[in-house]
Amino acid sequence: MDITAPAIMLTLIWGIAIGCIYMLLATGLNIIFGVMKLVNFAHGQLLVVGAYLTWTFSVSAGLNAYVAILVSMVVVALLGIAVERLTFRRVLGGDKLNEIFVSLGLIYIFENATMLIWGTSSLQITSPFSGMSLNLSSISITYDRIIAVFVVIAALAAFGLLIKKTKIGLAMRATSQINNTAMLMGINVEKIYMITFAIGAALAAVAGGLYGIIFSFNYQVGAMPTIIAFAIIIMGGLGSIKGAIVGGLLYGITEQLATYFLNGLWGSAVAFALLIVVLIIRPRGIFGEKGE
Amino acid sequence: MGKKVNNMDIKKTLTSLLRKRPFQFLLVGFVILVLLPVLITDNFFLYVLTLICISAIYAASWNFLANSGQGSLGHAAFLGLGGFASALLGNSIATALIRLLGTTGMPIGALSVTIQILVLLVGGLLSAGIGLLIGLACVRLKAWYLAMVTFGFSVIAHTLSSQFDAITNGVNGFAPTTLVPRGFPFYILVISFMFSSISIMYLIMKSRMGLAFRAIHGNEAEAKMIGINTAKYKLIAFVISTFFAGIAGGLNVYFLRFVDNSIFAPANSFLPLIMSVIGGLGTVAGPIIGSIFWVSIQQILALPSVVNSLQASVGQYFPGISNVGPPISLIAIGVILVIIVIFEPKGLVSLFRKIYKRLGVETHEKAEEKKKRKNSVSLFRNFYKQLLGAKATEKGEIKK
Repeated sequence: MDITAPAIMLTLIWGIAIGCIYMLLATGLNIIFGVMKLVNFAHGQLLVVGAYLTWTFSVSAGLNAYVAILVSMVVVALLGIAVERLTFRRVLGGDKLNEIFVSLGLIYIFENATMLIWGTSSLQITSPFSGMSLNLSSISITYDRIIAVFVVIAALAAFGLLIKKTKIGLAMRATSQINNTAMLMGINVEKIYMITFAIGAALAAVAGGLYGIIFSFNYQVGAMPTIIAFAIIIMGGLGSIKGAIVGGLLYGITEQLATYFLNGLWGSAVAFALLIVVLIIRPRGIFGEKGE
Repeated sequence: MGKKVNNMDIKKTLTSLLRKRPFQFLLVGFVILVLLPVLITDNFFLYVLTLICISAIYAASWNFLANSGQGSLGHAAFLGLGGFASALLGNSIATALIRLLGTTGMPIGALSVTIQILVLLVGGLLSAGIGLLIGLACVRLKAWYLAMVTFGFSVIAHTLSSQFDAITNGVNGFAPTTLVPRGFPFYILVISFMFSSISIMYLIMKSRMGLAFRAIHGNEAEAKMIGINTAKYKLIAFVISTFFAGIAGGLNVYFLRFVDNSIFAPANSFLPLIMSVIGGLGTVAGPIIGSIFWVSIQQILALPSVVNSLQASVGQYFPGISNVGPPISLIAIGVILVIIVIFEPKGLVSLFRKIYKRLGVETHEKAEEKKKRKNSVSLFRNFYKQLLGAKATEKGEIKK
């Protein structure tokens, strides 16, 4: 393998594209953590459900893959509401371990339910741009990856507007600061929790659709993205949106560079080594609030 | 009424015995566990029992760390380290011995049992050594940050074991040489290790050091304020916990007769957490009850008869897969996990305590609470009486 400047450029672009998908998942996880103080380890399973639904809508209903993502977003958001009401609401505010525990149970349920419904074979979503790529002198990159980056930017911008400009966003920010005070100010905290979880699930579904277009997937792929998304928000600082974006890019680029310079085995190991180094230097993440 | 008193007597004698002679109790438990497979001679039963005991050591080691306020999500790294180290060392000692003795296979005897115990301890020590290094990186970290860093180490351990395949044989996996025969002899080895490790962890938790751990668990800043060297004690807890996790890993590998790099999988890191929380976090009995429950439910749901009947009844609705048994069993496990946390968030230990209470006995706490309530009621009554009395005299005065 020869190391050339265009190849490194390509690796960087790939890293950014993959980082963007992780970023979307991480943002969903982060908003749920920020508002509800809950870590949903089954978040990656929502990504898998989103990918499968996008596949189903694009194959059986004949929708454009990118339109199918929008439909699956709505379905997964409803699924998220159901999950929040039936399980997490009952354990919120108790021991943190109970929440991890519920999400571990949900992983079992989701992983095997998707396996029952969609089978065990790997699938990939075909988009209208499949197989087409943009050629720039010596490097070529598929349109789907470029579109993925723009979709992520659009989704994050819409999300940012929702948080900063709308009344619901204001209520979410208030709840994330002190939920009891928010409740005293007349905010229906339980409704805000429900909306937050739905938004997080919808972001996971978008990430799932993009993941399914770029990579092939099966019922088991959800575990690693969850851990990666969690690592990203830990690296960036829990509850910080800026941190999720920087962390996502850092993670994606490191992983791709390690895969390029060493080999595929090292990808996640080097990325986690980076996480460990970041946390040893800054125990609360890059943008995390100062500890004691 | 007579029955109630009788129960109370039994409870009192039991508790006092447990307090005064804990080791006699342990001995009785040990004898019962030794006799169980003698009474029920069934290979599958023995298999499940051994698996439960190994899981109990692993879960107890995790629970020990959690008692010092540190939650690890990467204990599989230490399970795997102990497993790989003891299996590799055991194999090289066995090959050297076979060459020395000129026999065709490893002779089973007192020597091989000694080697077995030795390699398990070395596996534990190596795991503890790595645990010390990782613990040094982790002492400043808290909660999620610590969980993520420990998880990262298990991912790195997985990569390293695949990368240095020439030494570890981690990709294809290998079988350790038999040192203690499978079945009853191995079971005895496992329960001896289980009793000694759980008693050691229990004694540490009861000592001054354990008090420091619990103080850190309660509130780290306060613990620091009263002069506990929190960094030192957290590190000690980390090392002790990883030592026992390594031993559990060695036992696991020698029991299953196979090890490959899948031992570092995240599922193995979540396992002790699941078992400790099911049983009851922070209690001695918790990890044991949790592993009994978890291992048996998994084994029951994976029984061929259960799986086959599921396939026969609902298999036709899911044409996408060849056998619907395993996924449906796993969904059932997931539902059980969620239900336990929602309805019994303090674990099965609290369920047993509730049943114990129903037997008609009062626990110390409840008696205390009752006393308090009585006190406050009488206080209120006195106050009210005085008030009434004052009113009465007031009225009387007006009447006069």
